[in-house]
Amino acid sequence: MGPVVSVKTYMFTFLALLALTLSTVLIGFLNLGWGSMFVAVLIALGKAILIACFFMHALLEKKIVKLVIAGSILWFLILVTLTAGDYITRGWVAFGGK
Amino acid sequence: MSTLVKIPAAETPNYLTEGRGIRSWLLTTDHKRIALLYLASVTVFFFIGGIFALLMRLELVTPASDLVSPHTYNELFSMHGIIMVWFFLIPSIPNTLGNFLIPMMIGAKDLAYPKINLASWYVFMLGGTITLYSMFRGGVDTGWTFYTPFSTIYSNTYVVGAALGIFVSGFASIMTGLNFIVTIHNMRAPGMTWFRLPLFIWSHYATSIIFVLATPVLAVTLLMVAVERIFQVGIFSSELGGDPVLFQHMFWFYSHPAVYIMVLPGMAVVSELVAAFSRKTIFGYTFVAFASVSIAVIGFLVWGHHMFVAGTSIYAAMYFSLLSYVVAVPSAIKVFNWTATVYKGSISWDTPMLYAIGFIGLFTIGGMTGLFLAALGIDVHVTDTYFVVAHFHYIMVGGTIMAFLGGIHYWWPKISGRMYPEGISKLSALTVFLGFNLTFFPQFVLGYLGMPRRYAAYPPEFQSLHVLSTAGATILGAGYLMPLIYLFWSWHYGPPAPPNPWRATGLEWQTSSPPPKQNFEITPVVTRKAYDYEGMKDELGLV
Amino acid sequence: MSSALSSTAQKLMLREQYGTPEQQRETVTLGMWIFLATEVMFFGGLFMAFAVYRMRFPQGFDEGSADMSIVLGSINTAVLIASSFAMALAIHSAATGKQYRSVWLLLTTAFLGVAFLAIKFTEYYQHYEAHKVPGIWFETSKPEAGAMQLFYVFYFAMTGLHALHMTIGITLVIIYALRAAAGSFDSEYHTPLEALGLYWHFVDIVWVFLFAIFYISGLHT
Repeated sequence: MGPVVSVKTYMFTFLALLALTLSTVLIGFLNLGWGSMFVAVLIALGKAILIACFFMHALLEKKIVKLVIAGSILWFLILVTLTAGDYITRGWVAFGGK
Repeated sequence: MSTLVKIPAAETPNYLTEGRGIRSWLLTTDHKRIALLYLASVTVFFFIGGIFALLMRLELVTPASDLVSPHTYNELFSMHGIIMVWFFLIPSIPNTLGNFLIPMMIGAKDLAYPKINLASWYVFMLGGTITLYSMFRGGVDTGWTFYTPFSTIYSNTYVVGAALGIFVSGFASIMTGLNFIVTIHNMRAPGMTWFRLPLFIWSHYATSIIFVLATPVLAVTLLMVAVERIFQVGIFSSELGGDPVLFQHMFWFYSHPAVYIMVLPGMAVVSELVAAFSRKTIFGYTFVAFASVSIAVIGFLVWGHHMFVAGTSIYAAMYFSLLSYVVAVPSAIKVFNWTATVYKGSISWDTPMLYAIGFIGLFTIGGMTGLFLAALGIDVHVTDTYFVVAHFHYIMVGGTIMAFLGGIHYWWPKISGRMYPEGISKLSALTVFLGFNLTFFPQFVLGYLGMPRRYAAYPPEFQSLHVLSTAGATILGAGYLMPLIYLFWSWHYGPPAPPNPWRATGLEWQTSSPPPKQNFEITPVVTRKAYDYEGMKDELGLV
Repeated sequence: MSSALSSTAQKLMLREQYGTPEQQRETVTLGMWIFLATEVMFFGGLFMAFAVYRMRFPQGFDEGSADMSIVLGSINTAVLIASSFAMALAIHSAATGKQYRSVWLLLTTAFLGVAFLAIKFTEYYQHYEAHKVPGIWFETSKPEAGAMQLFYVFYFAMTGLHALHMTIGITLVIIYALRAAAGSFDSEYHTPLEALGLYWHFVDIVWVFLFAIFYISGLHT
């Protein structure tokens, strides 16, 4: 039997997720330029952390599971950073560059 | 030993005798039987890929594109690459020797998910069937690299079929990697701590990390190519403002780590062989273990070295070049440590050792030429020439295939319960070595002199080197046919093998040859470190 | 091993290769997390490509995003979050011995999943009517037509893949609900439910990011 989290915790997580969804939409209506997507992704990251920590009880699992989670995020970042790095340093993107 | 009397197998029940008939094989969940299913499949794929290679080499005997048209030649090298990479090299050692040995080496009854193991073989076969079907319906001519926009827009061949077949087989890779990681974490026998594991396990663990993290990216990339071909619109076409080079980034993010999937299991085998046939513990065990994991990790950071002339930024090129030098370090550490192991060891020159030493030499040449290619200035000159072709064949064929053959011979007594014939096996090892070098060394020269790869026609001044290479290829082919024949022969006619014919350390040698279905009569308890030849001197007997 | 097994032990279905139930549970859990890591890389490839093109075509992508229905997108997000809540409660019920309740919660999860797909396909149909389906019927008079079409290729590819994962998930939830109704699980053994729960939550996380990248940036226009 795996780690058991209380119903109350699940309830708070659920409400927090709904609140964050609402805030994402509201922020979207502000004219932040490229900032809108950036903030939206940031809030999404927050939601993902809530889902992972409480619904998936990631923090209660063994060390190796936490390593797998960290590893998958790190590997995704490797893919994005090095590829985007190429595009940014050749001025292929809409901002700055050559 | 040259009688033709069929020698009956051991009387004791083992994994081969428990359950007979085709159903017991096709529905088995025994990792040892699944290993044999894979062995049969990869052998068939190897010879199909080999036939494509032979046809290519025959065409290249003359400067003109006279044996086959350039279009057919494009299909030949594409199909040769696809079959060899995805249907032979990647599954070869992990799914045959890895499947068979990992549970045994850690003292377990089976892998963590035996049914997923069987499913992986069916998925692999489905992928292979789809790919072969595409090939024989009309082939694919994009190269195994499927570069856009040729693969997405301009090619008139069965790209979607081939890509789909590879996509499907990728799931088999992922299932295997997942199975191995979980098994090595959770199924070790009591006392088998991480640093008592054979280095074979460490290398396969590193390989499995790559399986799990790289293959999904290939899957989604090929999926996008298929989408673009089917819907005539996609993310790689410049018509919409897309960048064809993005395909290369995504493709090589997988395919560079994939070459480490191909070589790490070879290194896994070599560590075992070198220890056994020098009767010494591996020099610097911890360094070799961490080097395996480092190769897997750093291998994800270097993919841009396949794209130096593709139009990436100079800063990206410089970064990838630097990291490509860094990734060579752990490989070099392993070569130094194997050499130090052999030094002052009690060496026996059985066939597996011949293959292991061959691996060390040829892998070193292949690896060093990789460093030449990592230098931007040199790469501009030799990229897309036969220099590159020679480089990767030294590693894949001179390295991985030699290790595969060495491992098959070494563990053959355990797998089949029979000894292979030592005399002819040494002859074929020599044939392979000579054939290999005659085939591929001239290709370094050809590439340096400017012969491009993937060309059916070439200037006449290159002919003599091509003729040498083709001659070598025929010798190499003969060298590969020989084990196919004598290993088959030995299955029924070879002398029965004892549990530990090599007097080697390792849990797999502590059980009968062939092993019982559950591997061990009693779960072993481990108290010794790996390769404890000193400590086990009395137990193992005289050299 | 020949003595009569308790009903709990029978339900435990301890597989041959495991020594203890705890080992089996940990093994299944680790395996599912590793599978989710592969899914991170699978979707990750497309997220990366989207990020690169977004950096090149901010205008065109904003124009595409403005087409999206924030109402339907938000409702869908809420629906999926609710389904994850239901799934978490279903496993909690199984773990605390309330099997009957867990069956209903699993069915609720599946129902919410189907609702999500229904709304999604409504959106797809709306895009089709607006001639915004690349490769089938795409027309726009907007200046950044190429970039907008690229946006839509990503939109359909990524939400399509997500919908495929949802469909597989819903099917499994229904199958497991039936198994739970047949009494296959109890408070000692409900490992398959836990694994399914991880998968379901992960697919929810993917949607959370899809919502952020497709529905928000064009809102201000």
